[in-house]
Amino acid sequence: MIKVNPHFAKKLQKFGAKTVSQCFSCGTCTAVCSLASDDQQFPRRFMRYVQLGLEDKIKHSVEPWLCYYCGDCQKNCPRKADPGELMMALRRYLTSVYDWTGLSRKLYTSMAWKVFSVGLLFFATLAVVYSFSGEMVTERVELETFAPAHIVHPVGYVFGAVLAFLLLSNVYRMYRLVMGPHAAGIPLSVYIQELGTLILHFATQARMRLCKNKSRWLRHFLIMSGYFVAFMLVNIDVVTRWSLTNEPPMWWHPGKLLWSYASIAMLYATTEAIIGRLSKKEPIHQYSHSTDWMFLILLWFTVFTGLLMRIFMELGMPVPTYHTFALHLAFTVPLLGLEVPFTKWSHLAYRPFALYFVRLKERALEMQQTRGEASQAEVSG
Amino acid sequence: MDKKLAVYICTGCGIGDALDIDALSKVATKEYKVPVCKSHPFLCGAEGVELIKQDMEGEGVNTIVIAACSMRVNYDVFSFPNAIMERVNLREQCVWCHPANDEDTQMLAEDSLRMGIVKAQQSSLPEPFQAENLSKTVLVVGGGLAGLTAAAEATRAGYKTVLVEKNPSLGGWVTRLYKQVGSKPPYSELEDVGISQLIKEVEGNSNITVYKGAQIEKISGAPGMFDVQIKQNGNLATERVGSIVLATGAVAYDATKLSHLGFGQYPNVITGEMFEEMAARGEFKRPSDGKEVKSVAFILCAGSRDKEHLPYCSAICCTESLKQALYVKEKDPEATVYIFYKDMRAAGNYEFLYQRVQKEGALFFRGEVAGIEEDGGNLVVEFDDVLVGDRIRTEPVDLVVLATGMVPTTAIGERLIVQADEQGKESEPPADEIIKSNILNLEYRQGPEVPTLKYGFADSHFICFPYETRRTGIYAAGSVRAPMDIPSTIKDATGAALKAIQCIELTAQGSAVHPRVWDLSYPEFFMQRCTQCKRCTVECPFGAINEDEKANPLPNPTRCRRCGTCMGACPERIISFKNYSVPMIGGMVKAIEVPEEDEEKPRILVFACENDAYPALDMAGINRLTISPWVRIIPVRCLGSMNLIWIADALSKGIDGILLLGCKHGDDYQCHFVKGSELASYRLSKISETLNRLALESDRVRMEQVSIMDYDRIPQIIEDFASRLEEVGPNPYKGF
Repeated sequence: MIKVNPHFAKKLQKFGAKTVSQCFSCGTCTAVCSLASDDQQFPRRFMRYVQLGLEDKIKHSVEPWLCYYCGDCQKNCPRKADPGELMMALRRYLTSVYDWTGLSRKLYTSMAWKVFSVGLLFFATLAVVYSFSGEMVTERVELETFAPAHIVHPVGYVFGAVLAFLLLSNVYRMYRLVMGPHAAGIPLSVYIQELGTLILHFATQARMRLCKNKSRWLRHFLIMSGYFVAFMLVNIDVVTRWSLTNEPPMWWHPGKLLWSYASIAMLYATTEAIIGRLSKKEPIHQYSHSTDWMFLILLWFTVFTGLLMRIFMELGMPVPTYHTFALHLAFTVPLLGLEVPFTKWSHLAYRPFALYFVRLKERALEMQQTRGEASQAEVSG
Repeated sequence: MDKKLAVYICTGCGIGDALDIDALSKVATKEYKVPVCKSHPFLCGAEGVELIKQDMEGEGVNTIVIAACSMRVNYDVFSFPNAIMERVNLREQCVWCHPANDEDTQMLAEDSLRMGIVKAQQSSLPEPFQAENLSKTVLVVGGGLAGLTAAAEATRAGYKTVLVEKNPSLGGWVTRLYKQVGSKPPYSELEDVGISQLIKEVEGNSNITVYKGAQIEKISGAPGMFDVQIKQNGNLATERVGSIVLATGAVAYDATKLSHLGFGQYPNVITGEMFEEMAARGEFKRPSDGKEVKSVAFILCAGSRDKEHLPYCSAICCTESLKQALYVKEKDPEATVYIFYKDMRAAGNYEFLYQRVQKEGALFFRGEVAGIEEDGGNLVVEFDDVLVGDRIRTEPVDLVVLATGMVPTTAIGERLIVQADEQGKESEPPADEIIKSNILNLEYRQGPEVPTLKYGFADSHFICFPYETRRTGIYAAGSVRAPMDIPSTIKDATGAALKAIQCIELTAQGSAVHPRVWDLSYPEFFMQRCTQCKRCTVECPFGAINEDEKANPLPNPTRCRRCGTCMGACPERIISFKNYSVPMIGGMVKAIEVPEEDEEKPRILVFACENDAYPALDMAGINRLTISPWVRIIPVRCLGSMNLIWIADALSKGIDGILLLGCKHGDDYQCHFVKGSELASYRLSKISETLNRLALESDRVRMEQVSIMDYDRIPQIIEDFASRLEEVGPNPYKGF
């Protein structure tokens, strides 16, 4: 017996699902979806879940993470009920469900909280940078003097550790919800054997290539690879010290080239996404939640200020370099601090983990079956 | 009238290439001594027609046999007033479906010509029946939307109307609605009910006599001359009318029978009608405690599409409930609305209404209601939702509204099964069901109301002829005929009004009404030989024949549709038409040349209904399908007109088998005369004893139901019958 909750759909409106009530369950969306399968049927099923307010079923579902929003369902929906957008809204909703701090829900549903959190982190970062920064050498660019690596790097690691803790604790909550009773009785070896799925999808988002529109995967890959490269370079920088240094290396330095790739890839992809969202040509860009704008704007400015700082540095303009660097950090901190554990960028963990959990579940079912067969064989034997 | 016969053979369309025309002409000139026999390569052209006209003027030809194409084509070209006309089908049913220049094809053509000549020889010119004191007034029974529309439309066309309404005021069901669904773009807004304008038009029209608070006491007579007694306030008024529109509509299904949905059990379970009243009062309050309603559950198909209650769909409940959901949402957008449905039937422009209600946030559930519980006035609905495949349970709601279906007013009353008399009930054909609904109170031998089709609706032929009831001159419109919405009712009433006018005009001309509109013949009874067996009065599908106390038939020619069912029924063969009679068809049968047994050319006689089977045979020819050369086809007005003596005639002549091709019968019959094919099959069931008496196998007679679409099956049907006849062997009567 299912208890209908007529108020759930209203709650979900804040997460961006505004047209679900127009669905009449024809199932065209599921039929045209390249990713839906017999075991994982969506989006129609979730349209119905939302209409009936079956919050519990949704909380335990993994399917929203298996959708990459190509927009085929949206194009074919006879009712303009926007099934793709509903899946997107469910991802936002699930992110808020996994997040134990409650901040995610606030960020998704309240404009005041969004502005306040971004503003707070932005200005706090500036305040910290300017109060702990060293001397501003004006004769030449001495970035390390302005931002001493022995302060920046440990602070960065502490910040990263906090984010990792938040994100992984949310992933654990996701694991409990998605796996449910299947979690019990899976041996550790299976977790390890299936790690390949996790790594593959984390690094490549290969599943997105199953969508009909392949160019989206490329754009997405540019952002992801750019981010990944930048992330690695920041870490390597602790040892090599070629970035946060008073003596920048020559242009051909591999670290420099990689930075350029990362910056340009991310800048290109975010700029295109911003234009797309403004022109609303593709279904995926038709509806923009305020958190989508928040993510794009923060990322764009982060990359832009990073690139600008490097240009000032190359041109030997010390003062602009220092201030741009401060700004760069002021955009980076809210970007990472809010997006990674609480909102949009948590996808980078939830999507590969979702596929990982699906595999684990399949393995658990297989084991159950073989156990069942074995015990049957015993009985009949 | 002295007959002068002429035969015209067309050699166009491949006829001349496939047949020996000289030999064919000799059949006319030598065998039948026809004084004029001509052939022409293009008979339906101006020159060909002129040839016939010249012969009529110059030679005094007045009986014409045209051996050319099917009688279903070129009937406008070969139309000669005051001449007896017989068509012989040499094209579709001869050269187009048989091999050219073949001995058997030639024999077929010659037999066809023989039959045509015999029929022409025996026919005479119909003289239209002229009744006296004909009225051109239309009686409309029922003053709801359908009745008002029919009355208004009939007067707009220039006909006086008498309107009888049972209630003290006009308007019916529609006046009780708070709003109606939008009839113009965007179709999603609600409109005020516009019936008061129509009521004003009808009441203010001097050509419409309105009887309110009145009922029909009695209707006697026939189309063109119905005498109607109307009782109003204890007074009896009489009116003579020409035809009748039956527009008494439907009532809501009795909700007290829906106790499984809580009606009568819980005060907060109400019907859609009650909800309309609430809406009209402008406040939604719970009947139990007057608390303001914040949540409503609409249950659609309440007792509809349900074997225990109304097995059919009432057409409007979905859209009416959607409309009522909007009442709630327009008053309070935050109110919760649940809509439980089996299938959402909001077709056409109603789709926009459906979409609007979805947008307003109503919750839709597809499946079956499992139960309703009450707790302190709050109701909880349990429902088996097929879209999630689980049982669901609502939050407590304030009000449950049941969308009850329509019961036609003709369905309410004692059921009367029409029987001939007390004896021999088992031998009766399936009877009409007449329900004494106290609406028309007809003085008809077969019962006081129109026979009902399924579920008590007064319809007759839902596929081909809407509005026709099984009583000529009485046309049903609106929800009494089939459940329908407001726009359909308006269309329906307009259509029925036009049908009523057609009936008046055709009756004045002495013509049959649909489907034999051109037909001026009517059945004549040779009463001296009548044995008062009542077969004709019982079997007439249209109740055209009354009886006197001695059971003598009293025909009413203006009620007659000219199908000839009475002619087929009469064991004494005393009923005939000027151009269609038992001896005439018998003569055609006898005109067929039956080869000796050793020639191994069997003969199959096909009686083909003119309405579907005959055109299907034509279509087989048009599509150049090949048909067995053994068939000889005789068109009949309806298989109901088939008299068993024809079968005896055919078998004693040595014909090997008889195939009856008629329309589908049963619940979804296609017979143009409602019961003709059914009666034929009933008569056929009686024939085996006759065949046994003649020492013949009953397999020699077979009946098949075909529709016009079955033309591709026709060759196989004939082939199958032919091979069965081969097994049975040749008719032993050959050569006698």
